[in-house]
Amino acid sequence: MKPDIDIPATIEEQQVLAEALFTSIGEGAIATDEFGKITRINPRALDILGTSKKEMIGAWFPKKIKSVKEDGTPVSLIDRPITRAFLTGKIITEKGLYVHKDGHTIPVTITVSPVILEGKPVGAIEVFRDITVEAEVDKLKSDFISLASHQLRTPLSAIKTYSHMLIDGYMGEVSSAQKKSLRTIIAGTNRMNELISTLLNITRLESGNMVANIKEVYPVRLLEEIVKEHALSAADRDIHLIFKAPKSSNLSIKTDALLFKEILSNLVSNAIKYTPEGGKVSLHVKKRRYDVLFSVADSGVGIPKHAQDQIFTKFFRAQNVVRQETSGTGLGLYLVKGIVDALDGKIWFESQEGKGTVFYVCLPK
Amino acid sequence: MANILIVEDDKDLNNAYKIILESENHSVQSAFNGKEALESLKTFKPDLILLDLLMPIMGGLEFLKQYRQTSKHPDVKVLIFTNMENSPEVSEAYSLGADRCIIKSWTAPQNLSRVISDTLSGRAASATA
Repeated sequence: MKPDIDIPATIEEQQVLAEALFTSIGEGAIATDEFGKITRINPRALDILGTSKKEMIGAWFPKKIKSVKEDGTPVSLIDRPITRAFLTGKIITEKGLYVHKDGHTIPVTITVSPVILEGKPVGAIEVFRDITVEAEVDKLKSDFISLASHQLRTPLSAIKTYSHMLIDGYMGEVSSAQKKSLRTIIAGTNRMNELISTLLNITRLESGNMVANIKEVYPVRLLEEIVKEHALSAADRDIHLIFKAPKSSNLSIKTDALLFKEILSNLVSNAIKYTPEGGKVSLHVKKRRYDVLFSVADSGVGIPKHAQDQIFTKFFRAQNVVRQETSGTGLGLYLVKGIVDALDGKIWFESQEGKGTVFYVCLPK
Repeated sequence: MANILIVEDDKDLNNAYKIILESENHSVQSAFNGKEALESLKTFKPDLILLDLLMPIMGGLEFLKQYRQTSKHPDVKVLIFTNMENSPEVSEAYSLGADRCIIKSWTAPQNLSRVISDTLSGRAASATA
């Protein structure tokens, strides 16, 4: 059979074609031999690094292509993607900082592919892209998030604090009709707060800006706070919200307290939302050998079998809840899963339609 | 009961926290930025500082830096009360020795009192974030 394209017949022709391919790649490209000596470098790579072909060819890659961490210290040889590609025989992709000849740093994404011949590495090809513009946009985005979270929440803080103060009698007696109105205001601010938190955290998660401040945390205290925060919305729907703290309330885990609260708050809020009036929502915590297991059980509408695979998917909402409650965003469980992953935990659930759901989260100790 | 210094630029919120904490018999002083807080620390000896981060004139982080350099009372608890969770500012506050961080717009007065007493008793000192 005749091939669709002409394949160069001679080794010389193949070499010319490879050189042309290498030169015409729009990203920086560098090839090395099995010892990491640079054998080829394309014009784009020279341009990004501000160097010349003469200077690079024959030089040892890790020495000539300088890579530094955020704090300016050099990345150790063993951590360089090219070393890891040689050692593992796998393609390595990651972000890094290269140093231009004039000393300034350049944010790059790096992909190194080992070249394997008969099971042995005979060289490597690195392709890298200057992402200065993307990094600037990321920075602007994250600055905007910080500012927006502050600006959106500031008026809410005042509304929430003063509504609670009114309902708690700090400003004198209030009638039961007034209390009812205040509860509606509080429920509205809580809903607004949840929406802001969800949107901010999703933006952070997706732009890789989720920072976990890992410290020793006493989860029982935090669960008690979560129960308090949801007590009003549960009472409004006549839902029995229970958390029986275990005897060893000094149980501690190493995690991020705010992210922990975001996970459990979301699960509790969902459980309350999708449980019919008069139902029950309960929280449990169990210390296990290597981790701590948290669960949120409800006597709610349950997740239909056919929807169970998609429950952590962005914007997904099961048909039975869409019919019943129209205000969800379909972002809550997607976010919860993302945060659990960021904290090296696991999440799963058991559910029966019409009977209820139990969500389990386990987090390392 | 404890001595508490509130550092919060929003006058309404500052006043609200003052009312809540005084109703629980705490002795409370208000400052509206970091500079004012440093000034009032010359005469007022708090057990706990309730600290906002984003404030005019001097923000919470700059206040913490200067306070840590000059303070002779390392056991004073610092509770960060902000609306910016999961931000580099919060991480920096922890590295400057803040005991806990809570989100203003999430926190009802009862929870504020509870977190304060937990932090003072040391239960939440390490307990959070």
